[in-house]
Amino acid sequence: MKRRTFLRTVGAGGVAGVAGCVGGGGGDDGSTAEPTTGGDGDSTDGTATGTAGPGTPELVVSTYGAFVDAPSTSPGPWLKETFESEFDATITFATPDSEINYYIERALQGADIDADVYVGLNVDMLIRIDERLDDGLFTAVDDVSGRGDVKDGLNFDPEGRIVPYDTSYISLVYNETFDGGDFVAPETFDGLLESDYAGDLLAQNPAGSSTGKSFLLHTIDAKGPDGYLDYWEELQANDVRVLSDWSTSYTAYENEEAPMVVSYSTDQVYASQSGEDLAKHQIRFLNDQGYAYPEGMSIFEGTDEPELARDFFEFMLRPDVQGEIAQRNVAFPATTTAELPEEFAEYAQAPPEAVTFTYDELRDNVSEWTQAWERQFASK
Amino acid sequence: MLGAAATALVLVVVFYYPVATVFVDAVFVDGRPTVEPLVSVLTSRFYLVDIFGFTAYQALLSTVASVALGLPGAWILSRFEFRGRETLRSLTILPFVMPSIMVAIGFVATFGRNGTLNGVLGALGLPPVELLFTLEAIVIAHAFYNAPLVARVTTAAWESVDASAIETARSLGASPTWAFRDVVLPQLLPAVAVGATLTFVFTFASFPIVLALGGFQLATVEVFIYSRIQNLAYAEAAALAVVETAISLGLTYWYLRYEGSKRGSGQGARPQPRKSLWPGSWSAKATATRLAIAGYGLVVLAVFVGPIASMVLTSLTGPQGGLTLDHYLFLLERQQTGASYQVRPLPAIANSLRFGVGTLLVAVPMGVVMAVLTTRNFRGRAAIDALAMAPFAVSGIVVGLGLLRGLVFGAEAFGTRIQVTGAIAVVAAHAVGAYPFVTRNVAPLLGNLDPRLVESARSLGATRVRALVDIELPLVAAGVVAGAAFAFAISIGEFDSTVVLAEGSTSYTMPVAVERYLGRRLGPATAMGCVLLAVTSLSFVIIERFGGRYGGRGGF
Repeated sequence: MKRRTFLRTVGAGGVAGVAGCVGGGGGDDGSTAEPTTGGDGDSTDGTATGTAGPGTPELVVSTYGAFVDAPSTSPGPWLKETFESEFDATITFATPDSEINYYIERALQGADIDADVYVGLNVDMLIRIDERLDDGLFTAVDDVSGRGDVKDGLNFDPEGRIVPYDTSYISLVYNETFDGGDFVAPETFDGLLESDYAGDLLAQNPAGSSTGKSFLLHTIDAKGPDGYLDYWEELQANDVRVLSDWSTSYTAYENEEAPMVVSYSTDQVYASQSGEDLAKHQIRFLNDQGYAYPEGMSIFEGTDEPELARDFFEFMLRPDVQGEIAQRNVAFPATTTAELPEEFAEYAQAPPEAVTFTYDELRDNVSEWTQAWERQFASK
Repeated sequence: MLGAAATALVLVVVFYYPVATVFVDAVFVDGRPTVEPLVSVLTSRFYLVDIFGFTAYQALLSTVASVALGLPGAWILSRFEFRGRETLRSLTILPFVMPSIMVAIGFVATFGRNGTLNGVLGALGLPPVELLFTLEAIVIAHAFYNAPLVARVTTAAWESVDASAIETARSLGASPTWAFRDVVLPQLLPAVAVGATLTFVFTFASFPIVLALGGFQLATVEVFIYSRIQNLAYAEAAALAVVETAISLGLTYWYLRYEGSKRGSGQGARPQPRKSLWPGSWSAKATATRLAIAGYGLVVLAVFVGPIASMVLTSLTGPQGGLTLDHYLFLLERQQTGASYQVRPLPAIANSLRFGVGTLLVAVPMGVVMAVLTTRNFRGRAAIDALAMAPFAVSGIVVGLGLLRGLVFGAEAFGTRIQVTGAIAVVAAHAVGAYPFVTRNVAPLLGNLDPRLVESARSLGATRVRALVDIELPLVAAGVVAGAAFAFAISIGEFDSTVVLAEGSTSYTMPVAVERYLGRRLGPATAMGCVLLAVTSLSFVIIERFGGRYGGRGGF
């Protein structure tokens, strides 16, 4: 009774790309490209752009802050400019601080929702929406051309409301230059428990960060729902450090507090761009697996621009645009047809085997798994 | 009376109503009253022992550390004269504006395995220390935030000790030690109690520091409230917040009663003369004192200057470790070419200053009104006082969420949705967070005034308001100015309610920009952090210098 689904990066030969990511629920864990923000969220709220002249339709795209405003690269500005040059339309970005929770709250309170589409959805957000709102928040998105190009395993919404546009794999990143240049990360989950690795791993809080939750889910996949708490007990005994979010733990990793951190398998893409020593950015897929983390987009129920929203989604899935999103968001593309330059394949690594849980498995279990973990791990 | 009504109105709209919208989840589930969420928290061994127990334990240690680190500073600032003393005193307010994520970065760089501290220890041939991700790291970071507060409050009290009282004691045969114990100490204790109580309340609700420097092994109640809110589990979050608030408010109430019982009668105005830091003759005692001061200076360098210097250094360091101005160039470039939905540095500076001044204009009158009210004697005063101090005691996360649900989305009233957002809401929210500092600065001074002054003015025909403006306020001007500096600092450093209430690109502030620029590269965020540091240091020095003309000393 394996409660898991394997995602295989089917054929996608050219992987490339980069890890991307999404601001986790609280806005922090951000993108690899330039992770975003810190602990209790940040980003700001929406902002209007553009001058929608009379007659020019406007599409309000809500997303997480780093998607439009990361200090290095972020896909937002390029997408806006390119889309507007091809279509007679204006894109306005909205980036509420609490991300999707902002819209769930609005729906609960009966306040209007003035965004047309949301970009940056993950399965956790979807479960939260479905648990809290009887009517949901998004419409089914069926007739979008290019949707067939999306890799099969990435579709995480059984009801087809969400269209994936990129994906990342959670892996370990390690620093070979530790221990006088001899450091090698273990190859399995059990290896992490060896006393040689005491105090060597930095992870993130699964309740507030998407990398942290993915890593927890990966341990549940590896050790089973009945065994993961025992595994974590041993990890804790081996002095694993669980910090708040990706940003905090990656900062500590870069300061060489520890030789291993839970991060993205596209880590080298950014490291090579910024001229860093790749020996400090080695990738390890524990048990030869990486936890898959797709990001998707959907159309708000009450949008008055359904046609324009579909145009936008088709645009997002186009091979050239998929290639740009992958490069600018440092993530793998979601489609099999993305056009990517060769050097990306060199640095972006995909796991031999990708694992993830299905929507149904997570809906039934994820809160319980996470809370049981919190109660065992916190303040002990 | 009008002032009190306006103050109450602001409090209800941007504090009590929003917070109530959150707390109500603890006692109403599906529209029905219930005690279930509260009972489940209060009967949970995990919450009571692990979470609340640990939270209180680290707050206690943090308080002890802050007082221990702050008191010598107060002694030096109030008893010695040296160049830059005034400026140093102004700068004790700086930790209030440092975004906690920045402090965390500075601490990692200073106290980490490869940090500055271990570099210095290594150069001295000493073994390295591993501080990060331990309780010690949390306690030191809390001391970074709160020791300056303790020092500030205590310095003010020490400076207002009347020299003639000590001289009288000495002339009656008391040794310097006895004079200190009988005359000075009783006047310092209430100030130390203020600092300690505030420190405990602040560190009890600590959140980002705990998570960043301690890790989840050392999680506090605030961490759990945040986690529950992120998962939209409001009943449990609200129940936790109710218990947390009850404890904080209880402490505040207890402290205010203590403060009330200690409130002295009128004081003279002649401060003790300060000694020179460089003694005329190096007697054994003078030398020992100076050695102690030098030792304290080293600790101050490590705890305060270290993290800030590390931040400045990071802002000037490239990926390969060489010096570079790239991160500042990024700020310039973002300023020139940033899209309208991206955060740019200059608008962030302008907004911060605008909100800071706005907060000053709102919080200072509010704080003074509260101070006047709380220095009157009436039944239940301590309770009113504690309620007025509630913004100290309520979790920032709860206030943020309440503002979002109560104000940003608005409430239905008379068939229309009433919403409050934008710059005015930001200023109001900042003012609510800031005015208790004004009150705490002004109330003790006001309480110490000789009531006969007001009585004389009144008997000569002045109205109560006129007596306040003409007689009392000028006498407590130092407290008002110090309170204003705090109000400004709180506004500049505020983050949570700013991001919730700010509308679009017109209202992000410097701390918001710092957070936005944070990423895999720390550089841009630290460069913006340095801008924040520069702008605010300058502002405080100006405020205090400007205020000095009227008050000179005192205040907190």
